[in-house]
Amino acid sequence: MSVDPIVVAAFVDGELDDLTARRIEREAASDPALAAAIARHRALKERLAAHYAPVIEEAVPDRLRALLTAPDALDTSLADRRAAKRSRFEAMHWAAIAATLVLGLTIGLRPWQPTTEVVSDQGRLVASGALARALDTQLASNQPVGAAIRIGLSFRDDDGRFCRSFESRTIKGVGCRDGDRWALEHTLRGQARGDYRQATSGEMAAIAATMMAGEPLDAPAERAARDSGWGRR
Amino acid sequence: MRFEEELVALLPRLRRFARGLARHPSDADDLCQAAIERALKSRDQWQRGTRLDSWMYRITRNLWIDERRAAGRRGVHSPIDDAATQIAGDGAAEVEAGALRGDVDGAMARLPDEQREVVMLVLVEGYAYREAADILEVQIGTVTSRLARGRETLMHYLGEAA
Repeated sequence: MSVDPIVVAAFVDGELDDLTARRIEREAASDPALAAAIARHRALKERLAAHYAPVIEEAVPDRLRALLTAPDALDTSLADRRAAKRSRFEAMHWAAIAATLVLGLTIGLRPWQPTTEVVSDQGRLVASGALARALDTQLASNQPVGAAIRIGLSFRDDDGRFCRSFESRTIKGVGCRDGDRWALEHTLRGQARGDYRQATSGEMAAIAATMMAGEPLDAPAERAARDSGWGRR
Repeated sequence: MRFEEELVALLPRLRRFARGLARHPSDADDLCQAAIERALKSRDQWQRGTRLDSWMYRITRNLWIDERRAAGRRGVHSPIDDAATQIAGDGAAEVEAGALRGDVDGAMARLPDEQREVVMLVLVEGYAYREAADILEVQIGTVTSRLARGRETLMHYLGEAA
């Protein structure tokens, strides 16, 4: 097949400009593999759409509708008091969740042990401990929910080395396979703050994009690379 | 149109999105309820003239991620044990793929959260990559790569691979 799978997907999703889309259509006419790939993508999309379509037809439950159709002009003072009460409760509720998260995290990081995710070796930063284990074994396509270290993209750089972007609460960066170690190329402090959302995954993806030769590894390629010990080929 | 009326008009679509994220109908409606309450409380943060639907999807999705992470910390078992699937390896995945043929819910449940939300936004809700990236607050390249991985997994489980 002459066309990159990402482009096939973009074609089916209507993301290509007219000129490129017409080129793909022409090529599909003489490339059965491409035509089949397009058909598979369309079939998947139609199947998902059909599966979730009935939800749209369902009657919206009263409890949801009532939140938005309450006669707010009727008794605003009461409504305000209720709202105030609710938001106080909600603040406490979220604070309690936040406390749970912090506790869980502190236990997870074992604060009585020194941080050993990164060590310096002859002036180069290399991954060690939990970070090295995550880079060695964790698949971006299949990460445990709530993993302390999350793998972003796996890819090959211009030198043919396997590299993987990663992110944890304390550190984020890109590790590239150097012999049997992971040399850290771009290391930044993670955002160890209360906000539990990963607002910066895009940042690491952007750094990865500047380093990669070609496309990021897809799930099978990533698994194969891991199983082969991230060796050069 | 009043803010509330616009939200009412969005509810069917929002419920569909939530169903994709949460799978079980009552969990999905709980998520919608939390999102509506959050939206009413922070309605001042929505800028008139910008898209209310994107804003609502973002709220819903962020609440869902918070909920999933809180559940993970509490040690609540998610329906699919990702770690177990990972350890079981390819052989088990093949067997599973056979059993799942035709089960869209089951296949979706096997996607990591960050792939499932992209699949829902682009393939079901019909958002452009750019719009999905804005809702999720990630780079567009992240959307395309997560979407590619998600599609691949779904095709594998649903038996639509080559």
